[in-house]
Amino acid sequence: MTDTPAHPTDPFDAEALNAAEGLDPVNPAYAQVLRIATALNLIPLAIGASVFDALLIRHIGGPYGLITAAAWVIAAIVIVSFPSRRVSRWGYKIGEGQLRVARGWLFRTDTIVPFVRVQHIDVGQGPIERWFGLSHLIVHTSGTHNSTVTLPGLHADLAAAMRETIRRHIQTDFA
Amino acid sequence: MSDVAAARPATPATDFGDEPDWQRLHPATLALAIVKLGPRSLNFLPAVAALGFTGNWVYIVPAIGAFLLFSLLAAWFQWLRFRFLVGDDEVVIESGVFARQHRTIPFDRIQDVSIEQGLVSRALGIAKVGFETGAGGKENDASLDAIALDSAQALRTTIRAHRSGEAAAPVVADAPEAPPATEDRLLFAMGPRQLLIAGLFNFSLAALAVVGAGMQFFDGLLPFDFNVFDPRDWIDIAEDYGLDQWLLAHRWIAGVGAALSLIFIGFASGIATMFFANWGFRLTREPRALRRTRGLTTRTDVAVPVKRVQAAILVTGWFRQRFGWHELRLQSLASDGGKENDHQVVPFAKLDAIDPVLDEVAIRRPDAGQSWQRSHGIVALGGLIGAVGATIGGLVAVSFGQNLGWFGPALGLLIGAGSLFGARFHRWADLGEQVAIRRGAWKPKTTLLPHASVQSVDLKSDFILRPLGLATLVFGVPGGSSLGAHEIPAIPLAAALDLRTRILAARARS
Repeated sequence: MTDTPAHPTDPFDAEALNAAEGLDPVNPAYAQVLRIATALNLIPLAIGASVFDALLIRHIGGPYGLITAAAWVIAAIVIVSFPSRRVSRWGYKIGEGQLRVARGWLFRTDTIVPFVRVQHIDVGQGPIERWFGLSHLIVHTSGTHNSTVTLPGLHADLAAAMRETIRRHIQTDFA
Repeated sequence: MSDVAAARPATPATDFGDEPDWQRLHPATLALAIVKLGPRSLNFLPAVAALGFTGNWVYIVPAIGAFLLFSLLAAWFQWLRFRFLVGDDEVVIESGVFARQHRTIPFDRIQDVSIEQGLVSRALGIAKVGFETGAGGKENDASLDAIALDSAQALRTTIRAHRSGEAAAPVVADAPEAPPATEDRLLFAMGPRQLLIAGLFNFSLAALAVVGAGMQFFDGLLPFDFNVFDPRDWIDIAEDYGLDQWLLAHRWIAGVGAALSLIFIGFASGIATMFFANWGFRLTREPRALRRTRGLTTRTDVAVPVKRVQAAILVTGWFRQRFGWHELRLQSLASDGGKENDHQVVPFAKLDAIDPVLDEVAIRRPDAGQSWQRSHGIVALGGLIGAVGATIGGLVAVSFGQNLGWFGPALGLLIGAGSLFGARFHRWADLGEQVAIRRGAWKPKTTLLPHASVQSVDLKSDFILRPLGLATLVFGVPGGSSLGAHEIPAIPLAAALDLRTRILAARARS
């Protein structure tokens, strides 16, 4: 954590954002994971919009093609440009007996979980993540708010190592 | 009855014989099932109505009979297939008619044993025993519904004795009725007089709304055609007594009558709810827990383990505050019944009566001289947006010719003013070992949160707070509602960072 006074940070520069708060960036490959996940969500929507356009708008004699074009353009923009930005705003820091996870820019949340308060830990890997050799770490606390804290975009080995680190701390503090 | 009376689990059951002594629920539970049929038969009403409308009147009585028979048979089967076993250090419950469920609960994992008695249960001398295990979700908690009251109390004593015996010598006392080492101390009790005062302050507009809505709804059904909220009805009444001429000249009398009845209903419902909920209120300190018994018809007996208490919440009202009346709730891992998330341990008392209770859970109340820090006025923004939304919505409705739409701007004005006013009451103070958060003008609420209860801290900022150099702190605390997380909204970033560091440095609450 830095004590430097708040200075204007370029919100579009991942390094600047994370460096200003003393955070490590997540694996850039996570952008690909997010991109594919977003595509899987949006392409069916775009197809749906096209079908709607073809069936209904043409039927009632509206301006055919407008909705289809807009849907695909928006989907393309969101799929191409948003994931890398979102990834650049994820940051984490492990150490000093605590895990720190920050995410988002418009609505930024910076969560700290002391290792002592961790109930149990999951390391998960979805099919897309497996493709890129990534994992996500889920930390469970007993708090009602933040009962799970998820940190995605970690190299599988790193996630396992973090899990071991946290687990060791849980054990040492249990006496 | 007799085998349930043998619920004293002190008898080492497994020594002789291979069949442990399984017990059943109290047979009177079946009587309870009949009572529960009442509300449930409402589901049956549409079917009866359908039969009636189609003219098949003859089938109604057989249909109802079949329904009753089937329900009773189901209840009986359930009773037959439900058995439980109190072992030396665990409770085993087997249930289910077709799909069997076998559940083992070690005494060590039972945080809290609650005993609840409804009106009918009290007449039958039975009680529902709930085991709070701290497992997530209400439906995960096991309960015995219902067993004889004395065996319920014996069961609880056994489990408590087991828990407090962990640290002590492992002598298994074979008399679970043996009183614990330190006797229970009475911390707080409410007599009828105090309940009456509390009830007067409990003036409830909510109940009024319900009564009003009910009167509107059942207007056509009531045997008498009278609506206390309608001044015209008062005029009608007056007519019967020949007062109408006089009344027409003095219309305000009718208004006063309506207002008086409103006030009367408000007070009466406040007093009634207070008496029903808190009759015979007693809060005692037991070796490990605070124990609360209360209730007029439904009597509940709940223990809050002191070490499980996560935070204390002091609630008051804008009016009762002037007289120094407060309510104390404790946020614990276990939740309090179905509706409340926090345990109400002092419903209505002056602060000097609350302090001893707070002492027991090692939470300190900020004194009058405490200097509070304020949240930024930007916290009113949410309310203001809501107000604008209501205004726009209302005006749109008006533009469509719906005159009721004028409620929108009026409501918006109220919401806006309320949120602007209320924003001034968001305050917080760090008391060293705990942080105090205060909010609300209409219903001031002070949360006393020990640093050690905090499991995680969120530092949130967004595109509005960031340019102002502000941040919101949200604390992850066990127990309580998942909707109402404890937070300090819109405080200077530096103060937020500093507070976060100090809170995270605290050691776990033992």
